[in-house]
Amino acid sequence: MNLPRHLAVVAATLVLFAGACSDAGSPAATDDAAGGGKIKIALSNSFIGNQWRVEMENVYKAACAMPPYVDEVECSVFNAGNDVSTQSRQISNLISQGVDAIVVNAASTSGLNGVVQQACDRGIVVVSFDNVVDNTCGLTVNTDQVKFGQQLAQFIVDELGGQGNVVMVTGVAGTGADNDRNKGAKEVFAAHPGIKVVATYTGMWDSATAQRATSGQLANLPKVDGVWVSGGTDGVIKAFAAANRPMPVVGGEAENGFRKYMAGLLTPKVNGMSIGQPPFLSVISLELARAVVKGEHPKESVTIPFPVATSDHMVPGETVFPDLPDSFFADFTDSGPNATVVLCQEAATDGTPCPGKTLDVKLGTP
Amino acid sequence: MREALRRVSLGYLVLAATAVAYLVVYSSRLGRFPTSFDYLSILNTTLPLVFVAIGQSLVVLTGGIDLSVGGIVSLCVAVTASTVSTSALWLVAVLALGAACGAVNGLIVAYGRIAPILTTLATLSVFTGLALRVLPVPGGSIPPQVRHVLTNPATPTGLIWLGLAVAGWLVLRRTRFGMRVYAIGSDEASARAVGVPAAAVKLKVYALAGLCAALAAVFYVSTTTSGDANAGAPFILTSIASVVVGGVAFTGGRGSALGAVAGAVALTLVIDILFFAGIDPLYQSLFQGLFLVVAVLLGTVAALAARRRRPA
Repeated sequence: MNLPRHLAVVAATLVLFAGACSDAGSPAATDDAAGGGKIKIALSNSFIGNQWRVEMENVYKAACAMPPYVDEVECSVFNAGNDVSTQSRQISNLISQGVDAIVVNAASTSGLNGVVQQACDRGIVVVSFDNVVDNTCGLTVNTDQVKFGQQLAQFIVDELGGQGNVVMVTGVAGTGADNDRNKGAKEVFAAHPGIKVVATYTGMWDSATAQRATSGQLANLPKVDGVWVSGGTDGVIKAFAAANRPMPVVGGEAENGFRKYMAGLLTPKVNGMSIGQPPFLSVISLELARAVVKGEHPKESVTIPFPVATSDHMVPGETVFPDLPDSFFADFTDSGPNATVVLCQEAATDGTPCPGKTLDVKLGTP
Repeated sequence: MREALRRVSLGYLVLAATAVAYLVVYSSRLGRFPTSFDYLSILNTTLPLVFVAIGQSLVVLTGGIDLSVGGIVSLCVAVTASTVSTSALWLVAVLALGAACGAVNGLIVAYGRIAPILTTLATLSVFTGLALRVLPVPGGSIPPQVRHVLTNPATPTGLIWLGLAVAGWLVLRRTRFGMRVYAIGSDEASARAVGVPAAAVKLKVYALAGLCAALAAVFYVSTTTSGDANAGAPFILTSIASVVVGGVAFTGGRGSALGAVAGAVALTLVIDILFFAGIDPLYQSLFQGLFLVVAVLLGTVAALAARRRRPA
């Protein structure tokens, strides 16, 4: 009489067990076998649902498979789906596992303070990047987001000769990066009385959303001379093109689509400046974590310069990638003689190592 | 009543299964059993979800749903983290704020006669907007004394609060109010016919859910040591998932907040199981989803079995 219920319960328990056990066996064994003498560095990422995060993890995996990391470091990667408590659990588990360093892109800049403190207390090196952890016991690798806003705004002001109507397309409200970028831009625009900010709306750092929002706003806007975009730049350009509006000067992120317009690979050709939050921040963080654990670098945070590209310096294969999709972030590698790190296309697309290459990461002056 | 018991026991069974799976995976991966550090960090990270899940289960018991818990948690997290004070009065103020937010939902649902899912979807945006207004950038702090009392990272003070929450529910469900919650969820029209003041009870239920969300917010700030205006968003789905796993019926009237508590803990353990099982991170949310589907299917199978048995 009770059979169906019991059967179901037993079956479910078996499924859970089977799933857990079969998957537990193999990776644990390989990790232990390869673990001799290597330092363990784990990447704890908040969510993986966008192009930037995918590239960021891919270049991390690629770097781990290239010298010197392939011989020195045992890497692992975890995603938490943008949920603070999940990421918090994962970091707790990494502490239990006894890793040497944890590289973190946080779901919340403040939400991991508690668990990061616990890691620091146990002598684990914590390096956070992009969405960094506030707790000062950890190190950070980042760019200056206020400068991002300033530099793009200054470019627009200079190109317009200090006169004109400007639109600001912002990012996801409530995040530190969005706040800082907007702050930097507003400072610059406010300092030039000839510049009038005629609209500010969010593009949610997403090309499709930015395109929709821009299409909706354009009908009510006067002549637009410059656009400042925190993210989703190619969407904004497409909206202007679709509405048959004259193309403004654009300061935006590092989407490959935006750079294709800048390089004239897509029409209309856009006069613009492209600055990106580089996905290779994960690789810089890996290097900093490795160097600190090995005692080769002082326990100090690192700020790296933005990779910048302008319309008159577009080099296919270096700053723009004709065979990659528009949504791809073209700043997965730095370029030029002072490049922080140079990576190949397959590292960003597939997470596979660049053939025959030893990575040289410049941490710069702290 | 027997069916209610059966549904509750489903939540416990799922919890027991995940707990065993956790122990197996953990020990096979690390070659030792979890230490007090692991248990404590599980306890402290689960507490906020436990409270939200209790509140959510109350609402679901009346046949409603509360999407705005995410907004209330965010707002209360923002207020808690941005006002630094050790006085108990300040904590009471945060809890009152949460209850007031919940009461707004209750008023609209009970007296405005607007569907709970619409009402709370709208107020979710309102509360989240307010939270962003209070705390535009993640930050703020909480006095270490409060942290030591609520979620001490060295001693299991969290157990006291978990115990109080469970005890609170056990008392509540035996009160006249508790009975009325079940009565409304089972059949609102009949309940009204026998003189249950359905609107007043619903108002209280939503206010209680708001209070629970505020409690969750205080514990959230205590474990993370600071605030984030987007903190509440993940709790919307995870609280509903906890309620589902805990065997509370979405049609209302059947289930228990304790089932939701078990569901909340089980959901947290699933994260750990996937971690130590070394599942490819890209498939983790897939497995979390599968876990939910299996749990819900179990609930349905148990309900069907019970229905088939009844005529016999």
